[in-house]
Amino acid sequence: MSRYTINRRHFLGASSLLLGGAALPSFAWGEGEPIKIGTLTPLTGSGGPYGPVMADTVKAVVDEINAAGGILGRKIEVVSEDDQTNPEAGVRAARKLIDVDAVSAIVGTWASSVTTAVAPLCWESKTFLATVSGADSITELPHQGYLARTQPNTTLQGRKFGEFAVAESAKRVFFVSPQTPFADSQFQNITKAIEAGGGETASLIYDDKKPSYRSEVDELLRFNPDAVIFGGYAPDTTVMLKELYRAGYQGKKIAFAYAVNEKLVDSVSAEIVEGCYTIAPSSDESSTAYQRLVELIGVDKPDPYTVQVYDQINLILMAMAAAGETTGTAIKDNIRKVSQAADGAKVDNARDGLKLIAEGKAVNYDGASGPCDFTDKGDISDSSFRYEQVRGGRLTLVKIA
Amino acid sequence: MSILLQALLNGVMNGALIAVPAIGFTAIFAVLRYPNFAIAAYATIGAFAAWWVNVHFGAGILPALLVAFAIAGCIGVGAEETALKQLRGAGALTVAIGSIALNTVLENVVRLFFGNDLRGYDLPLVPDWRFMGLRVGPQQLQSLAFAVVIMAAVFAFLRYTRFGKAMRAVADNSDLARLKGIEPAHVAVMTIFLGAGLAGVGGVLIGLDASIDPLLGFRVLLTVFAAAVLGGLGSIPGAVVGALAIGIAEECALLVAPASYRSAVGFAAILLVLTVRPRGFFGERAN
Repeated sequence: MSRYTINRRHFLGASSLLLGGAALPSFAWGEGEPIKIGTLTPLTGSGGPYGPVMADTVKAVVDEINAAGGILGRKIEVVSEDDQTNPEAGVRAARKLIDVDAVSAIVGTWASSVTTAVAPLCWESKTFLATVSGADSITELPHQGYLARTQPNTTLQGRKFGEFAVAESAKRVFFVSPQTPFADSQFQNITKAIEAGGGETASLIYDDKKPSYRSEVDELLRFNPDAVIFGGYAPDTTVMLKELYRAGYQGKKIAFAYAVNEKLVDSVSAEIVEGCYTIAPSSDESSTAYQRLVELIGVDKPDPYTVQVYDQINLILMAMAAAGETTGTAIKDNIRKVSQAADGAKVDNARDGLKLIAEGKAVNYDGASGPCDFTDKGDISDSSFRYEQVRGGRLTLVKIA
Repeated sequence: MSILLQALLNGVMNGALIAVPAIGFTAIFAVLRYPNFAIAAYATIGAFAAWWVNVHFGAGILPALLVAFAIAGCIGVGAEETALKQLRGAGALTVAIGSIALNTVLENVVRLFFGNDLRGYDLPLVPDWRFMGLRVGPQQLQSLAFAVVIMAAVFAFLRYTRFGKAMRAVADNSDLARLKGIEPAHVAVMTIFLGAGLAGVGGVLIGLDASIDPLLGFRVLLTVFAAAVLGGLGSIPGAVVGALAIGIAEECALLVAPASYRSAVGFAAILLVLTVRPRGFFGERAN
């Protein structure tokens, strides 16, 4: 038994060996010390199904760039940590990445709670943070530019609902939703889009615990809408759809894809949901970047977070090259130069982009998740969305745009 | 004017749905003297039982209602005998808390067998009829008719059958009833069967309007409880009146307040009534 006991001397010996080992590659590279980038993805917890693929994707991109000679003559090294889908574990892992590994950027934080907890460490230490979290509040943090995200927030989603209704020539749009953290911001942004198209909106926030919404539907019908947008989840949206059908509503219906999903469509009679449109953020599956990613990681239908983290690492590598420097601040100051330069040559991967940058040319990256253009606050200004419609009792793809 | 009429109409239809489980709840209270919150689970179980025979055996709504009544009633009796009966000695509050625990357990058993997915009855949905600027659903009218028939049957049962009379006797004064040779234990079992069965039928009626999932009963539990309290706990006509009053108050509230405050307005009305009349509309004992 005592053979396996670790005493202090053994521990010190072993750890100094380990530390020495870890230090070796940097000596080996001499002045071209590797550039470090951290992935902080959920390898366990509720984000567990996504995190491992995300981390592997970052490594695959970095391997490709290293094989092509690295950046500014230096190799890139990826350090992967697990945030356990837990803010406390996320903060510990981020501290390790920042203080011990001295990474220039952290990519891939998934849960909004983790991102919110980790972000202050990043901006305080001037480390760049790229995230796939969706909560509106994240880009409202005082991050001084050290944060960018590729997941569309509810402002953008609201706008897309409004623009879609306008494109479907709706003039009077009614928004019904239970009380959710994003109901207000969604309605405001729907209204902006509809009013820009010369239309009018009204809204009703209902109590989602009621077995029927007859009087709510009466109020809705008094507005005489030609399109109704549903902001709720599947159970309450089912009730609302039934009430509208009974009330003889004939106009357009638009809902979140997570509410009017296959389960809902199967659980009600076909005529109730027939013609209902659904909208969801989507990867840009028709883009060349997406096809490259599929080939690179050998996954047929990569999840949206993997797709986004692919774009993040490509952008960060090109931003470093464009800056001629590899710090978090350099990334912060240059990421928009490679993501949305008006006169830049369109590129869909960092390897091509780095060649052009080395030739002194401007680039404009269009990614696998969408065009990847960022607002000053760090939100993406546009993204691909997937539009489906219930036709003949089945969800049918209308377009990805 | 037609807006107000429509709200009243909607209120009556919603209230009738709530009235059926409220009768079950108040009947159990009348005889056993404790609020049984497990009726939420019985409503869910009834809805799922009816769904099962409707989807798998093509049963129409009437046989489905009977099956729901029988299955919810039997499960109610089984649960009462195994879980709650032992608690009765410890007082009404203990049994009430026990019934909340029982409710959660039963709800999760339903979830274990049927999952969390939404389900709907395999019945065609019929568009509303319109007349004089008002709108009524044939399905809601049907539910209203069912509710009325069920209520009439319960009244007749209590008034004209030996067992019904025994139930009323125990509810009125259980010691006196025992002296007259009525066995309270038998009456208790029958009452639970009736109460849980009615909750099950209510669950089916609610499921017809909404969709069926394991939380179906739980979502309306508070309203059912409030209807029974408002009408006077233990009074069956009271439960009906209380349910209709809540239904109408909530629907009319929509005319003056945003829909998200619907429940709040309904319950504010209850507070007001109880402040003026603590035993509710028809309650005889305020205890």
